Amino acid sequence: MSEQLSFPVHQALSLKLLIEKGQEIEIGAVAELLDAPYPQIAGALQSLAKRGLVTLREEVCEEFMLGSKGKALEDGVLPERRVMEALVAKGGRIHMRDLAQTAGLPQKEAGKAIKPLDRMGAATRDGGYLVAVGRLSEGIVPEPGEHEKLLKHLHTHGSGTVDTLSQAGINAEEAMAALSGRSGIVVIKERRRWSVSLTEKGESLRSDDIVARETVNILDRELLKDGAWRTVDFRPYDVQLASKRLVPGKKHPFRRILEDTKRAFLDMGFTEVTSPHVESAFWGFDALFQPQDHPAREMQDTFYVKRPAVARLPDGEIVERVRQTHECGWETGSRGWGSTWSKDKAREIVLRTHTTAGTIRALAANPNPPQKIFIVGTVFRRETVDYKHLPLFHQVDGIVVDEQGSFSSLLGTLDQFYRKMGFSKFEFRPAFFPYTEPSVEVFVWHEEKKDWVEMGGAGVFRDEVTKPVGCDVPVLAWGLGLERLAMFRYGLASIRDIYHSDIEWLREVPLCR
Amino acid sequence: MPVVGISIERLGHLLRTPVPQDDLVKALERLGCDIEGFGIMRRFRCVRCGFVLEKTATEADPGYCDNCAADFSADPDLREELDSIDVIRLDLLAVRPDMFDVGGLARTLRAYLGHEPGLALYALAEPRLSVQVMPGLDEEESFRPAIACGVVRNLQFDHDLLKEIMRLQENLHWAMGRDRKRASIGIYDLAGISGQIIYRPVGPDELVFTPLGWESPVTPEQILKTHPKGCLFARLFNGFSRYPLLIDDAGQVLSMPPIINSEETKVTLDTREVFIDVTGPGSTLVNKTLNVMMTSILEIFVGSQGEAVTIRQPDDRCAQSPDLSPQEMTLDLDHARRLLGFHFSDEDAPALLGRMGHDAELIPGSRAAVRMPPYRADFLHERDLMEELAVAYGYDRIPRTMVPTMTVASELEGEGLADRVGRILTGLGFLEAMSLMLGNEEDHFSKFGLEVPAYTVLIANPISREQTLVRTWLLPGLLDILSRNTSRELPQSVFEVGNVTVADPDAETGTKDLKKVAMATIGSTAGFANVRSVMEAVVKELDEPFSVQPCVRPYYLEGRSAAVLGMDGEVRGEFGELHPLVLERFKLAYPIICGELLLPGQGWPPAQLMSAARISQTQ
Repeated sequence: MSEQLSFPVHQALSLKLLIEKGQEIEIGAVAELLDAPYPQIAGALQSLAKRGLVTLREEVCEEFMLGSKGKALEDGVLPERRVMEALVAKGGRIHMRDLAQTAGLPQKEAGKAIKPLDRMGAATRDGGYLVAVGRLSEGIVPEPGEHEKLLKHLHTHGSGTVDTLSQAGINAEEAMAALSGRSGIVVIKERRRWSVSLTEKGESLRSDDIVARETVNILDRELLKDGAWRTVDFRPYDVQLASKRLVPGKKHPFRRILEDTKRAFLDMGFTEVTSPHVESAFWGFDALFQPQDHPAREMQDTFYVKRPAVARLPDGEIVERVRQTHECGWETGSRGWGSTWSKDKAREIVLRTHTTAGTIRALAANPNPPQKIFIVGTVFRRETVDYKHLPLFHQVDGIVVDEQGSFSSLLGTLDQFYRKMGFSKFEFRPAFFPYTEPSVEVFVWHEEKKDWVEMGGAGVFRDEVTKPVGCDVPVLAWGLGLERLAMFRYGLASIRDIYHSDIEWLREVPLCR
Repeated sequence: MPVVGISIERLGHLLRTPVPQDDLVKALERLGCDIEGFGIMRRFRCVRCGFVLEKTATEADPGYCDNCAADFSADPDLREELDSIDVIRLDLLAVRPDMFDVGGLARTLRAYLGHEPGLALYALAEPRLSVQVMPGLDEEESFRPAIACGVVRNLQFDHDLLKEIMRLQENLHWAMGRDRKRASIGIYDLAGISGQIIYRPVGPDELVFTPLGWESPVTPEQILKTHPKGCLFARLFNGFSRYPLLIDDAGQVLSMPPIINSEETKVTLDTREVFIDVTGPGSTLVNKTLNVMMTSILEIFVGSQGEAVTIRQPDDRCAQSPDLSPQEMTLDLDHARRLLGFHFSDEDAPALLGRMGHDAELIPGSRAAVRMPPYRADFLHERDLMEELAVAYGYDRIPRTMVPTMTVASELEGEGLADRVGRILTGLGFLEAMSLMLGNEEDHFSKFGLEVPAYTVLIANPISREQTLVRTWLLPGLLDILSRNTSRELPQSVFEVGNVTVADPDAETGTKDLKKVAMATIGSTAGFANVRSVMEAVVKELDEPFSVQPCVRPYYLEGRSAAVLGMDGEVRGEFGELHPLVLERFKLAYPIICGELLLPGQGWPPAQLMSAARISQTQ
């Protein structure tokens, strides 16, 4: 007894079939006989071919099919035959105007029959009449030609090759010759098909020795434990079938902007600081040389806090220096604002309107160069709340405290930041802020709006700001809004979309955008 | 910021040299102007008072006169439509009132474009008119001591010019006058004034005059009570028992600054000469405001002639007004080069400054003696001149460099922790939410069955009922987001790592910011065991020893909430199944499990921070 050979199920079945039939078979026929999907049988046979058990042979053959005009023929019968039958029925003579109706053909088709009939010598025009001649006039309708048999065959079977047609007793060559000059009735397409036959090695196999292996769905522990997985096949899956949606836990899209911002400044050697959200007017305004009657400090622009009511002012000389700077310039070289400065106004508590409160605090805590400092945080503005606005947003403020700091290096630092955030088109324009001079505003080009969008302000801190906190070198400073970066990146229409997020949006925004 | 529409035709005329529109836009942007765009300005004239109203292409036709309140909708014949004009729409630059009007803009541009560099000079004719300041105006009962005046002759008004002057006056009231408090401007037809002018305090019922737009005379008191402008600005006379008035020799009242002018001295199309006054509490700003107003009028009206006015103080000191002599400052050019970071030679400096309307002369030691225009109010410090150099040079030409100094970056300690907590929760499948730091009593406390804790920071001037306090905990924000997403697929798991603020009497600002994390899951399978697992995972990953104890909160189901305690026994956080009452109040239809935790390493919160527990037991 010879050794048993195990094959995956489709390979085993194909082999057994080939042994049984003992002849070359077209792959499609194998699939049909085994009632298995064509691609899997083709795959199985390819594997067998690789093992030298079968040979695959490619055949190119012509396939005959009805063309659009052929398909339009009722029962695959040409109009001339219908006309001939009608002529016989009407005694060999039909008026042209009655021809279509009598033959049961559309008007156009009936007319087309006349030329072939003439050529066949079966009928001819005689004035307004079509008259049968020859054998037809004797009531004898000729037998259908090869081409008519072909049409009938194709009408019934859909298609045929030279071989199958010859088996049906049709001479394809002759038939096509008869149809020459009448396009669109029968068309020929080139078709490739594969046939399979056993090789010598394959023929040496005995059907009984071939064993089909099991197909399993799940690779389980049992299969792994004793190596049984080697004897089974795994059912292939439809990889294109939709699967259940999985949403990873994700950071908020705006958080990613905040992180990119921080990353940009950390990359440039900056130290991160923080400062209170609820801030004294002293650090929020006065230390920044913002006059006490400045419109931005008014109740209509700034949130004041009623509980707690007053802040402490810092210890030391700084408060007195700030007072003198406001009133007459102190030792800063400035004329000052020339109005009386009130300690009580400086003690008022506000929700910080800019993170510059954080950088001036940092500068006062350590006024010595060199330093690069930044702060990212929430700021509050008492702006009308509508569909587009909220009373708070985020800023990044930064300062560079450096002997060699200049307006030029300020512009270069901002340039670097916006490049790191992915912008290539931006512009610097003059601006005014009470605490910087020269001052600059950054505009970024918005490709969709086709307009420049203001991103934030910057400048070199005035001496009126730096000297009272004990700093004598240039301090480059900026405060840039961050929500707009998010609105750019994620195509948001409103800042509200950030804080009143649609959870579906949080799920769908790709982490890597 | 107000936006003004500047007539392109008139600007072109005053520039004297044709300038292509693109160059004009570039120049204005390089000077720091914010251009809103170009458009058509539709103009309407009030037939009753002659006031010209302007509307953009998209605005509705005026329904009433802004000046005399004539009702156009009731009587359309009172509204006469004039030709539309092409305008360039500019956002006013508050710090440059000398560029608010077409004349001032043209002056700035002529210098900047190099057509007429350097100081614009204005020769004033000798005074013919005088103003006598009477005693009492420097006293508390009628305080408005500073006055500056000028006269302009050879004027030819049309509707647009009348409008231009009124608009400039209003915008100066806003920008320099801080709504007329610090400076207010009056302009009068000189023909209606006889003899000399007296500036004196007057009792509320001492005399009568006809206010602008009215037909019969009333007392100052009645104006404050009944005239629209009187009502609007009456607060500026708070605490006054006498009101400042300008009156001429014939007893004709010119105005009651800063409230209103008299009808009789009103400027009309027929006016050929005007008298201008500016009054206020301080003379520096009053003088500067007059300089802007006066020089702009001289710019706008080609061929007009300025004339000084003698102002005689109560002590008989006399001075000529306006003072249009240049301001002076010395600029250290080496210092400027270092600070600006780009190179220009000493010899370049006068040309650069000339483009900004200044005269500069080099003096030994690489310095420049600079004379600045009398209408500029933004020079406090040498530094301000350095900016003029930078603007003249062009921000776009300045090289973009970096300071060469090496510094070592460092991230804030707490931020790294917050980031790691975020990673723990995203690892557990939670989506990060970001809610507002502001909230209100209802959403943050009442809905949870809590009273507003004493440590809550309250806003004195909220702008909406939605935001009246600074948040002390994060859970309300998460519930807000869940309640906005009831139509989205469940379950939903969200978290937030963020700042809360509590009052802290020991802190400099009276408050302390704390970093917390909160998480919440909504869905039919949300149960206590899940939130306990999540909370335990978070605390374990934080590497903090902890214990869990039952706790009672009005917003959690009893017996299904717990407090997280540190090893010292202090409450660090809490979690549980939300009470159905809270779900109802937030209009949520599925169970929620949630928790909140103070991040470690911030010191302990004020003891009362966790007082919610006590409140709950008394509920």
